[in-house]
This record gives sequence, C-alpha cells and structure tokens, in this order.
Amino acid sequence: MNSSISDPAFWSRFQFGFTLTYHYLFPQLTMGLAWFLVYWKWRALRTGDEKYDKAVRFWAKIFGLNFALGVVTGIPMEFQFGTNWAGFTRYAGGVIGQTLAMEGMFAFFLESAFIGALVWGEKRLGPRYHFGAALAVAMGSWISGFFILVTNAFMQHPVGYQVETDGSLGIASLSAYLLNPWACVEFAHNQMAALVTGSFVVTAVGAFYALRKVHSMQASLYLRTGTLTALIASVLVAFPTGDQQAKLVGNHQPVTLAAMEGRFVGGRMAGVAVIGQPNIAARRLDNPIEVPGALSFLAYGTFQSYVHGLGEYPEDVWPDNIELLYYSFHLMITLGTIFILLMAYASFQNWRGQLQFSTRLLWVLMLAFPFPYIANTLGWMTAELGRQPWLIYSLFHTRDGYSKVVSNGNTIFTLIGFTGLYFVLGLLFLFLVGREISHGPDEEVVASRGEEHFV
Amino acid sequence: MIATWYVIVSFMLIIYVALDGRNFGAGMLHWLVAKTPEERRQVVAAIGPLWTWHEVWLVGFGGTLVAVFPRLTASAFAGYYLALFLILWGLILRGVSLEVGGHINDRLWQGFWDFVFVFSNFLLAILFGAAAGNLARGVPLDADGNFSMAFFTNFGVRGYVGLLDWYTVSIAIFAAVILAAHGGTYLMLKTEGPVHDRSATWAKYLWAAAAPLFLAISVESWVVRPDLPGHAIHNPFCWLGLLVVIVSTIMLISGLSTRQEIRAFVGSNFLLVGLLATGAAAIFPVMLYSTLASENSLTAYAVASSHRAFLLACVWWPAGLALATTCFVFVSRRYAGKVRIEHGN
Repeated sequence: MNSSISDPAFWSRFQFGFTLTYHYLFPQLTMGLAWFLVYWKWRALRTGDEKYDKAVRFWAKIFGLNFALGVVTGIPMEFQFGTNWAGFTRYAGGVIGQTLAMEGMFAFFLESAFIGALVWGEKRLGPRYHFGAALAVAMGSWISGFFILVTNAFMQHPVGYQVETDGSLGIASLSAYLLNPWACVEFAHNQMAALVTGSFVVTAVGAFYALRKVHSMQASLYLRTGTLTALIASVLVAFPTGDQQAKLVGNHQPVTLAAMEGRFVGGRMAGVAVIGQPNIAARRLDNPIEVPGALSFLAYGTFQSYVHGLGEYPEDVWPDNIELLYYSFHLMITLGTIFILLMAYASFQNWRGQLQFSTRLLWVLMLAFPFPYIANTLGWMTAELGRQPWLIYSLFHTRDGYSKVVSNGNTIFTLIGFTGLYFVLGLLFLFLVGREISHGPDEEVVASRGEEHFV
Repeated sequence: MIATWYVIVSFMLIIYVALDGRNFGAGMLHWLVAKTPEERRQVVAAIGPLWTWHEVWLVGFGGTLVAVFPRLTASAFAGYYLALFLILWGLILRGVSLEVGGHINDRLWQGFWDFVFVFSNFLLAILFGAAAGNLARGVPLDADGNFSMAFFTNFGVRGYVGLLDWYTVSIAIFAAVILAAHGGTYLMLKTEGPVHDRSATWAKYLWAAAAPLFLAISVESWVVRPDLPGHAIHNPFCWLGLLVVIVSTIMLISGLSTRQEIRAFVGSNFLLVGLLATGAAAIFPVMLYSTLASENSLTAYAVASSHRAFLLACVWWPAGLALATTCFVFVSRRYAGKVRIEHGN
C-alpha cells in the first residue's frame, strides 16, 4: 500500500471511511426497520389487533434514536466533500452535487417532517395518518439511499457525463446518470442488505424476550416476522442482487475482480478460494483451497470463461490494498452464506412451532445481530477498496481528489476529534437503546423531545 | 441563470438560518427563561420535534451548493477547515442534547444535557455569525482561488486575515444577539406561563439592543468594504431587502407592543430574511472576496457549474421545493399552538 503517514490522501480517505462507516451503522437499521413499521401498522389497521400497535410504538422509539444519530453523523459526510475532497468537488461537483442536493430536497424533507409524527404522533394523528407517516418515513429513507447509491455508482461506473470546456465533469444525460445499471443493482443489493440488518435486530430482540420469558406475544411476533424477512432478504442479497453485482465488477472492473479473488495469473476454469491468503510479494495465494471453475461460472456464466489475473495489468492500476480487499470480500460472502443457513433453519423451526422452545437456537439468534452490520461494512469496504486507485473509475485518481490546502495534521486532528466524539455517541446510543429494550414494549412512552406536550 | 441560482442558494441558506436560528436563540436563552426542570422541558418541547426538519435545510443548501457552485464549495469548505468542523461538532452536540436529554427523567442527566444544549447553541450562533462576517470581509484567496486561514492573526481586516478580527467578532456578537432575540420571540409564541413572560421580556431587550448594534455593524461594514455601498445602490434586490427589513421591523415592534405574538414572530423571521437577503444582494456577484487582491475574488460566474447543470437543476428543484412546501404546511399545522407544562410527569 503506497499510503503512509505523510500522505494526505491516506488521512482524508481514512477520515471519510471512518466517519462514513460509523454513519452507516444507523441508516442501515432505519432503512431495514422502516418497512417493519409500515407492515405492522398496516396489520394493525386491518386487524385492529393491539399487539401490532404495541410493536410499532416500541420499535418507533428505537427507530427515532437511530434516525437522530443518522442525521447528526450524516451532515459531516456532505461537508467533507468540500473540506477534505476539494479536488474531487471541483472536478465532479457538477455531477455528484445534483444527487446530493436531490437527496436533501426529496428524501430528507420527507423523513424529517414525518419522523416526529411517526414516533410521537399516534394519538394525535389517528391510525390512518399514522400509517401514512410510517410510509412517508420509509419512502424517505429508501429514496435517500437511492440518491446516495447513484452518486456512488457514478464513482464506480461513470455514465451519462460529459467533459466541460474547463475540464471538469458535467451531466450529459440525467436519465442515464440516475438509471446507471450499476446504481440499480447496487441499490437492490444494498437495500436487501439493510433489510437483513433490520430483520436480524428484530429477531434478536424477539429471541432476547423469549429467552427471558417476558413479553411473549411480542417475542413471537418479532421472531416470526424477523426470521422470515431475514431469510428472504438474505437470499435476495446473494441472488440475484449480489450475483449481478459481481458480474458488473467482472465486466467493468476486471482488475478489481482479480484482486478480490487474489488471482495473480489469468486463466479458464478459475476457482473461488474458500481458504487462502494473498501473498503480494510472492504473487500467489497462500495455502489455497478452491472450488474449481466457480469464479468463471459466477462472473461470466460458463466454466470455460477466461478470468483475468492481476499479472496482466500494470501494478499502478491494482487496488492499493489487495489483502484488505480480499478479506473483506471473502468474509462478506461467508457471513452471507451463514445468514441464509441460519435463517432457513430458524424459519423451519418457527414453521414447526418449535422456535420459542429451542433455547440454543434462540441464543444464536440473539447473538447474531452484530454480524449483518459487519457484513454490510465489509461489502462497502469491498466496493470502495476495489475502486482504488481511482476516485471515479478510470477517470479521476484518488491522489488528485483531496484538498491540497488542508494539511495532514489538520486532517488527523479532526479524525481524532471524530473518533472521540463518536465513541461517546456510541456509548450513549447503546445505553439508551439497551434501556428501551430492557423496559420492553409494554412500557408506557417515556418523555422525549417533548412532542407529547403539544395538546 | 447564474444570478437566479445565486438567489436560490442564498434563499435556502436564509431559510435555514430563519428556521434553525430560533433553535440557536432558544438554546442561548434556555437558562435565562427557564428556571425549573419543568420549564426547561417546556423550552425543549417547543423546538424538540422540529430540529431535524430545520437542520435538513442546511443539508439541502450544502448539496445544492456543490451542484451549482462546485468550485466555491471546494475553496470555501477546505479554507474554513477547522471552523467548519467546529460547526459540525456543534451541530452533533446540539442534536444529541435535544434527542437524549429527555430520555431519562433524572435531574443530573437533564442538567448535563441542558448545559450541552446551551453551550453548543452559543458556539453555533457565534460561528455562523463569524462566517457571515467572513463572507462580507473576504478571505485571503490566492491567485489559484485557494486559501487557508488561521482562527485569528492580527485582528486586522486586510491582507492575511484570520477567521476572527474586530469586524467578524462584532458581526458574530450581532448575530448572537438577533438570533437570541429571534429565539425569544419564538418561545414567547410557543409557550405560556413564566417561560412565556420571561421570553417576552428578553425578546424586547434583545431586539432593542440589536438596533444600535445594527447601526454599528453598518458603519463597520462601510469601513471594511468601502466598495460595497456604491455597488449595492444599483442592485434592486438590495432595495427590496431593505424594504423587507423596514416592513418587518414595523411588524415586529407593533407585534411586541400589542402582544400580537404571531405578528411579532412573522416580523422576526422576515427581519432575519431581509437582513441576510440585503447582505447577499450587496456582495453579488462576488461570492468569496479576496483580501489580498480583488482580482483573486471568486465571482458566481467563475465558480458556477456548466449551463447544462443549471438547466437540469431547474428541472428537479421546483419539485423539491413543492415537496418542501407541503412538508412545511404539514409541520406548521401539526405543531401549531402552545406547549403546555404537564405537572406530575
């Protein structure tokens, strides 16, 4: 890796990566949880069953905390385009700014106007409008995800742009830019992954209550809805969305695919490594155990397809951290596979009516919730490390994108500031969410934000 | 086209200041108008449900600025590096203090978050005020359109200036005073009981204090940028802005003296809008003035995106504004009326 402590691009990358990874812990849950709220609210409307309303009330509180932390950690992201990535903003601001602004105008206005109504407005709004608020928030959170993924997809696979007279990028076709095939696949893949996070969290809380033998009605509701959604979403993350994503990488970023798989030599019948560590100096995979032909088949459709090796490309277009990229990708695949198996078994047990009594399985489900967060993070690491050394693939180098006027020390200083602040925020968040969960869904609404004072 | 987008971007920032300004102001007055824990919850309740809605205007502004004036965003945000991060951290602390403060009904817990709330709002009001002063005074832009600024240098307003000098500090003080007055007017409208009475008193004092300060900063601005008044006279938007200032001042004064709270609050909002609009119109077309050499200044024309980017933005922006207006109507209807204290909770 050509990044060292004296390289300003490294520190700006580190800061953006850190603040973004941290930020994304919150939206991935809100995007996943939002549709649970919509579904339960809809069931409550249809059946009039109080347990659905209770579930909405309980999860809306957790949603509200997540949303607030998502907002406060999200605002720095937009500003870092200017503070740390001035070169990038000068070059591509005319393109990426469009979607950043649209996200603000179309998604955040919707979400922020209705979030208060969703969390606190049940009595005042009545059931129909409360359902409407849940729907508006869910739509807002997914629209926001779409615009951000369009922005990211442009960096992965730039389409619909033109080079302006001053050398910067502008949009040639808004529809080509918004409907970038990469964006559509990435959006589907990412939203399913967010749903995996949401459903694992719902399941884990259900398992927690079931193990403690409290709130049993709610526990079985969370377990039932959670495990089934988790199974469907886990399957969809892998196929077709993950599969399509890998094909896009194979077709448009072959050197990235080679690095993700640690393949130094190209060839047919390329295998997928189950075990093995890339050894860059020796240009090989150490102690590999491979499934022969699997990579050729998955990336290009036949076992005889030719998969490029890193050796076919000059080293300066290799992703600059091949080991990290390889581990991120492989661990993500492993976790994704485990999710499918675990949730298939849990759904089967639930269908048999045995889930509430399978203590060991409940323990596993309760402790499984951090892993979708890890898998989501690994997926993003794969996407962003794989894009290197480009900031916009094949158009603009990362080393040209950072702010030349910001000294290294300043970036390290603000990075450390974020680390400290975010550590405290994380503690607060866990403490408060833990408190809500231990109070449980039968607890009356506790005063917050003061919305209940409006009478 | 570029002038239109200058107006739109300024409009979004001004809306943000008018909306979030009431939170800054209420935050600064928090300890002065609310003495008991119940009264403090009342202040938080008056702004609590709405702060994310206000803050997203800043996000909307930031995104639009990147889209239509990318080179300005690049120069300004990188140049104001540390100050901008202080603002971001202040916003994080402010949001968290509002969000978690009410979660636990405990004196120490709420007392601590009240402190964070007051502190972060003060910091934000001062920093946004200083930022406005910097826009008027200019920054040490070099020939490449870059700058990097210290917090303060020799407190002078020419050459290699810092973020803070005698001029920007006085603008920051003025901003803190009028935002506090704005917040006081808002609390007067939204609360009742002792908080209402104290807020009304503070609003009157602060607005009264703002008048001489306004005269002072007007003279100062003329000293710092002698070129501006002559330039502004020819800009009809400046006259429009001044007209808004005058009308809204009359509304504010008559509202405060006749206890027409809605009228006073509308006046207060339009006064902020008028002041900022006049300022924005006065500096146009320069968006970032150079204190080193005026030919280094970045004009809206020099930092703009392509014509096509403006046209595209014209397609979706009106739809976004329509959505924002709908949300605005919903929010203002839903949160109409006063916040009451509920005893025994």
